[in-house]
Amino acid sequence: MVESSFLNPFCDEALNIVRNQADLSIVFDVDSRLVDIISFSPHQNLSDESYIPENIINLALKRIKWYIERKNNKEYNSHDYAYLFVEDISFYDVIVFHLTAQAIAYKFNFNSREMRLFVQSQGQIIEDRLGSLMLSEKRELTEDILGELMVSGTVEWTFLKDIISSKKLSLTDLLIDNGEVILDRDEFIYRFEDKFEDRSVSKMYDVLVGDNVKEEVLKNLIMQKTEEYIQNIQEKSHLIEPHPSILTLADEIEKTIDEEMTKYSTFYANVNSPGGYMEIGKLVKEAFPPCIKNTIEGVSSGGRNDAIVLFLTSFASYARLYPGIFANEGANIKVSDIDKNLDITEREILPLIFEAADNCTPPLFEDQPQEKINIISKLGFGMHSEVSLEHEGETKWYTPMSCEKVKIHLPQLCKKDKGCKGINNPLSYYTRAKWNLKKEGKLPDSNQSGNNSNSSGGD
Amino acid sequence: MFGKSSVKERKQFYREEWNLKDLPDFITDELPRREFGFDHYGRGPNDRYKVFKNPDFLRRFLKSKSPFAAYISIAYYRNPRSREDWQKAEYVFDVDAKDLPIRSCSCDEGEVCEECLGQSLEIVNNLIDTLDGDLGLKNIHLIYSGRGYHIRILDEDMMLADSDLRGEVLKYVAGATVPKSSYPNPDPSMAASNFNFQHFTLPIGYHKIFTDRVKYNIQHLKGNEKIDGINPKLLKDIIKFRHFLDEDAWGLFKGNIGPRRYNNIVNAMANVNLATIDAKVSIDIKRILRLPSSLHSKVSMKCVEVENRENFDPFKYAVPKFVHERKDEEVAVKK
Repeated sequence: MVESSFLNPFCDEALNIVRNQADLSIVFDVDSRLVDIISFSPHQNLSDESYIPENIINLALKRIKWYIERKNNKEYNSHDYAYLFVEDISFYDVIVFHLTAQAIAYKFNFNSREMRLFVQSQGQIIEDRLGSLMLSEKRELTEDILGELMVSGTVEWTFLKDIISSKKLSLTDLLIDNGEVILDRDEFIYRFEDKFEDRSVSKMYDVLVGDNVKEEVLKNLIMQKTEEYIQNIQEKSHLIEPHPSILTLADEIEKTIDEEMTKYSTFYANVNSPGGYMEIGKLVKEAFPPCIKNTIEGVSSGGRNDAIVLFLTSFASYARLYPGIFANEGANIKVSDIDKNLDITEREILPLIFEAADNCTPPLFEDQPQEKINIISKLGFGMHSEVSLEHEGETKWYTPMSCEKVKIHLPQLCKKDKGCKGINNPLSYYTRAKWNLKKEGKLPDSNQSGNNSNSSGGD
Repeated sequence: MFGKSSVKERKQFYREEWNLKDLPDFITDELPRREFGFDHYGRGPNDRYKVFKNPDFLRRFLKSKSPFAAYISIAYYRNPRSREDWQKAEYVFDVDAKDLPIRSCSCDEGEVCEECLGQSLEIVNNLIDTLDGDLGLKNIHLIYSGRGYHIRILDEDMMLADSDLRGEVLKYVAGATVPKSSYPNPDPSMAASNFNFQHFTLPIGYHKIFTDRVKYNIQHLKGNEKIDGINPKLLKDIIKFRHFLDEDAWGLFKGNIGPRRYNNIVNAMANVNLATIDAKVSIDIKRILRLPSSLHSKVSMKCVEVENRENFDPFKYAVPKFVHERKDEEVAVKK
């Protein structure tokens, strides 16, 4: 029987390991038991010693590296990290999980890319571990952990509201009846038996709910708990002096993430056109979708704030710095990864946003000067009046609104043209239109040559 | 409707007809924590940040000012006078008869009539059935706003919800997302072959909600609508074959339309479903809404809480006395 701690670092057994058996003074020491587990993991690549983390700190860094490689390296080889998927690793994995969470909580801001990357890595590790189990083991473990998380046969959908709000799970993908999400087979049959006349109701349960929905709920609940755990540590951080090992780990995590992200972030956008890859470059207004053009021309009272602060800010910054955001989801980029000294942000992006704000009726900053701070915050630089590297990560760099969201928030701006066909995000419209302009030789000179600031740190 | 109210009529309404008892309990319950806004000249609410310690102060204000329109915040604040320290907010669905993307009446643009108001009532009833029956939300109130309906939800979970959650629930209740159709085969040995289900073949959950909304829309088409993704020929064919839906014969309907064009209908209807509700209102956590019991002076109707949502008739319950008197005068003049 596989232990819950293999998937759930918050179960009683896992918490007991952390309370009673984790010793922070030896996390840098070579641990022969850990080395043995790794060495004897089936299919583990042992061709080089660098594949074997010898102590707990190295294991924590390998776990981060695994996720970045898993997401980005086209030549990723699962045998390099086979030890992460053997049950015997649970003991060390639990310690590593809690150490990493604490290191991230002390060193990085809530919602920083480091925190998001860690939370996502936890989701991915759960998914991959579930995939490595036998079907019967997987089902039993899933049931047990859902029970531990207070989710049994049915659960009120409002219990899952945080993961629905963060769009990790969609309400429309859950089967909800009378306020309850149906997860259990007997409950499904009891409620819907008479709804399926010519199909087996039990089979319909397997297809519509079955293992998939339960596993999604489990994964997302643990990701949610991980976020809450980090937040909780941060709230109490001023009361507790962190152990030096945790601070060292935090520095090492930062170094590892920076190195790995530099290796894999090409900042290219995958354009929905044959062979189309778009390098970053100066903003090309001719390629803006109608909704952005309408925003820049000025928005009247009522829709001004959302149009400028939420919509244009994220669009202009991603279009200029990282148009490939949706092609490389989970890449966890921050503005300064591309715009190292924030020159582009200050000289190109903010002036465009501020000009659009001035074009509003009445001009946005005339009666609401605080919206300048909100714009800075949506770029990821906290609630300050200027962008500065020191504050980066205090807030999240907002991703551009989808067309669906524009229709809800700002329906007056959505005036489709033929370029909108098949597009579900204004940024995709932009990258496609820019690619077409490039193909036709109509891009301004600075863009024709592929004005990539990745290496230079600004242009 | 009944045209604009004169200043004299507004004064008459607030002095003679308006009564404290007309304020619903959910409004008076925590009155001092709400912000009030007033429109005195018919140009939009410009007298904002008003707070009343108790209903009697509100009564005195209404009687002395007889505003063109009165509004109350859906939000509760610790300091409503400056809209600071937001505590919670009602969750609202706003269905305006004049803005329905599909209307079976022949009203001019921007106008409303008995028929489209009736249609709005059917729509909000369907929405409430989903909010209550499917999502299990509690403490739901329906308000006739003068030209449509507000569903005001004081369910504790939703009152604390952020805009994102409100948006997700809105999409579910409205039927604004095309339901998932492809499901992985639960048999691991057949993992490569997915199951595909058309929305109308699954009579439960979100699929049923979406199917019901699409059917309603199709049955109310007149044939002159302009809907993104549906060209005039397709619109004509939808109307030609919609009789199949009377018996829920979706397969025959789809067969006659053709699979590719049916796909266009499904996508277009998800957009229509969203456009039926003023989505901006639902995701807003600081909006002000027309005060139940107040006068909608543009159309000379009362904004009232609906007691019996199945057979509410605004012309019976929401017409102020002065409108009847106008008619009496007209009759007298004609005689």
